[in-house]
Amino acid sequence: MSLKLDFSLDNETFRRYLNGHAVVMHSHHYLALITKLAEDLSDIGGPQLLKDVVEESMWAVLHDYAEKNDVTSPLQRCTVGREYYSVYGLGKLKVGGTENGGEVCLVRSHIDEGWIKKWGRHSKPINHFTCGYIAAMFAVAFNKPVKSYTVTETESMAVTGTEGTFIVTLS
Amino acid sequence: MTVMRDTVVKSLAKITIQGNEDGLIPEYDVLENLLPAALLNSFSERIMAAAPQEKKTMVADGLVRAAYECGYHTGCGIITSDVFNDVVLPMVTEGEKDILRGAFAAFTAWGWAKSGIVQLKAGEKMVIRANDYYEADSGGDGLRAYMLRGLCQAFFDLTYADPYPDGMDTYVCQQTKGIEAGDPHGEFIVTRKHASV
Repeated sequence: MSLKLDFSLDNETFRRYLNGHAVVMHSHHYLALITKLAEDLSDIGGPQLLKDVVEESMWAVLHDYAEKNDVTSPLQRCTVGREYYSVYGLGKLKVGGTENGGEVCLVRSHIDEGWIKKWGRHSKPINHFTCGYIAAMFAVAFNKPVKSYTVTETESMAVTGTEGTFIVTLS
Repeated sequence: MTVMRDTVVKSLAKITIQGNEDGLIPEYDVLENLLPAALLNSFSERIMAAAPQEKKTMVADGLVRAAYECGYHTGCGIITSDVFNDVVLPMVTEGEKDILRGAFAAFTAWGWAKSGIVQLKAGEKMVIRANDYYEADSGGDGLRAYMLRGLCQAFFDLTYADPYPDGMDTYVCQQTKGIEAGDPHGEFIVTRKHASV
């Protein structure tokens, strides 16, 4: 792993930080239910809201890391995003693409595997979180602002029980 | 010897977690994740803001429920873990009360909230005071420490309700004060469901 990890603890508040950003631990039950809450609120745009929140939040973290560590090439920046995803416990990504878009394979997934552990397989893709994450990763890799890419989950681990596929296109 | 909170907090706070070679964190019989607090706060704030008035209670309940189920299942894994056995159990002399004290020390050590029990009536009522918690930084209106409400209820259920996994939803937690709403600390009161606070 090439990612530099600086874990720190505020001895007064006991808040935890990773590379300067406050982080907190939860389980698959939490993200499964947050995902389901977003699904249940589809009529007010819940899934898109979840994607947007993740994209904006992760863009800030990934961009900050790239700037502070002088990571400039798209390949290196993609690697930062891919490795951060794993450090967060979200799973394992294989990333391919160019500035115009690409394809991401989800080999292991906290959200999909957590969903299946909790409720079994689902009838449609549910990994809105990772759609937002990948959009942020591509935007930072190619030095673009948020909302530059649209990410669609075309094959879902929550549905098939195997790997997931995400298609990335320029917005 | 009863549970020495500072000792437990300092011991458990040293533990750092991160994803394994598969990018997963299998701990405490669940899959853990480690996410930016700002992301979680932003989701709560924006989903509450997006919900129409008639759905706001349902959305708030959904946020609490996510934390509750997370806390109930993960909490069981924590209080039966090797680290809890090593650090907390040697200090336990008052049974369930000490387990609960140890659990809230873990609560603090893992950065959920700098909090502790200020009133405890075994099996009936618990008052938690939190002097710092990440939801205090969230935007929005009113009391909104959804995560803390869910976790406080979960830990009380684990301690005093029927044994895991049959004790879910025996108690309920209400937030009565919040740093996010201008109070000097957060306050959370757990009581049996349908009993008044």
